[in-house]
Amino acid sequence: MLEFRNISFSFPGRRGTVEVLRNVSFACREDEIVAVIGPSGCGKSTLLSLATGLRKPSAGEVFIDGNVVKGPDPRLGMLFQQTTLLPWRSVVENVELGLEIRGEAKASRRQRALALIAQYGLGGFERKYPHALSGGMQKRAALAQTLAIEPTVLLLDEPFAALDAQTRVVIQNDVVKICRAGRRSMVIVTHDIAEALAMADRVVVLSRRPATVKEVYEVPFSRAAASVADAPAMPGFADYYKRIWHALDISITGMGAVA
Amino acid sequence: MNAALRHRLLVYLGRFAVLAVILIGTEIGVRSGFMSRLFFSSPTEVFGALLTQLDNGSFLPDLGITVLETLLGLVSGSLAGMIVGVVLPQTRIFSSVIEPFLMVLNGIPVIVIAPLFILWLGLGLPSKIGISIYIVFFAMFIPVYTASLRLDRTLVDALHVMGASRNQIFWKVVVPSSLPSVYTGLKIGSGLALIGAVIGEFIASRAGLGHMILYASGTLDTPALYLGIVTIALFAACLSFAIDALGPVLVPYRFSDEK
Repeated sequence: MLEFRNISFSFPGRRGTVEVLRNVSFACREDEIVAVIGPSGCGKSTLLSLATGLRKPSAGEVFIDGNVVKGPDPRLGMLFQQTTLLPWRSVVENVELGLEIRGEAKASRRQRALALIAQYGLGGFERKYPHALSGGMQKRAALAQTLAIEPTVLLLDEPFAALDAQTRVVIQNDVVKICRAGRRSMVIVTHDIAEALAMADRVVVLSRRPATVKEVYEVPFSRAAASVADAPAMPGFADYYKRIWHALDISITGMGAVA
Repeated sequence: MNAALRHRLLVYLGRFAVLAVILIGTEIGVRSGFMSRLFFSSPTEVFGALLTQLDNGSFLPDLGITVLETLLGLVSGSLAGMIVGVVLPQTRIFSSVIEPFLMVLNGIPVIVIAPLFILWLGLGLPSKIGISIYIVFFAMFIPVYTASLRLDRTLVDALHVMGASRNQIFWKVVVPSSLPSVYTGLKIGSGLALIGAVIGEFIASRAGLGHMILYASGTLDTPALYLGIVTIALFAACLSFAIDALGPVLVPYRFSDEK
């Protein structure tokens, strides 16, 4: 379980202090997927970096299973937007990286990495370098890399933005299945309302800077739909989409008359 | 015979033809008196000079000394450039203080600073190796330093989240990230190492290919002059081939282009 409690974050800028997050509180329970959505630049990614221990909140605390986060926590794994596969390591060497850092013996970490690779449909690509893989396969390998250390809390920072539309749905679906199978807590930061609705159990909408929690929606689609691809066709999906869009308060200014 | 093989055969035949034209052309040109013996030498005369120098026992020591100076300069200069280039960016304040001094040093033409090395290290091998190290250092330092400053922060963050120590990040990300630029540095440095050694020999020396060329030039021994040039050219080519062969060892993933 991951909990943000009264989190505020600000940093000194050129024209005084920049306040990014103001008193943000929400939790992600075990076996729950929470999507965090908000206007561009509102501090969604900053929020995740506070959970990883890479940055410290100015006020408030982050808890993992009831313990205050003070630095990188072994129970937490993160899937980044950009690739985190080291280009000079083969797929299997990348997947076992987290275990290697923890000092696990070579034979056992290799065995676990190979099992994960087979499980995520990357069999036959163990010895390939990342650049030889397609975008979707690279994402799968990065996911295996993140999950090899068996985190109970999984953070995703706009992880599918660079994938093409079809690959994206397939990977989204895999991530949901993997997360549910392990009864993990997963927080996904996204700017894509449909992604949030199709994957999450709850959607937290942040306001513009300084970001506060504006709305929280319990959504049924992720658990009810047969797959991520089926979610948008479910009754009520469009309605939620509209409500979140309004909550985001993004103004679309018309181009005027196009001659 | 397939097209690719025929193409390769044609290329080799073409190269052989060009070489033959040059050799036979100069041979005929010099023998006929069309090319003056003061300015040109025929291949047989150059070969004669080689036999003479082998006979009086000066050729192999001259070659050996220049090869030794070059290799020692290349190895030591590259190692120094690599270490400073990777370590300096680790402490930003230190690198910001030192950077302008290194850039000014780098701007000094080697020919200008070479006499100082002769003054410090004498007429023998050490001064030539010193000059060689001096230019090789910068050939290696600049690409490695630039690459280290542009390190992919996402990779560092990902390892931090996995719980890696500063030390682990240095060896698992920073050092491997620098290897492509180490290869670039070696390619540039191998040529410069030879230039450094020969420049040192030109300024003051008792042996070496540079000394041989200078002596031949002073005594108007044109065949020996050409012998020196051809020997240096062949040595430079060997060095370049050897460095190219290091590529797949240093950066194997750059050389595996299979999809």
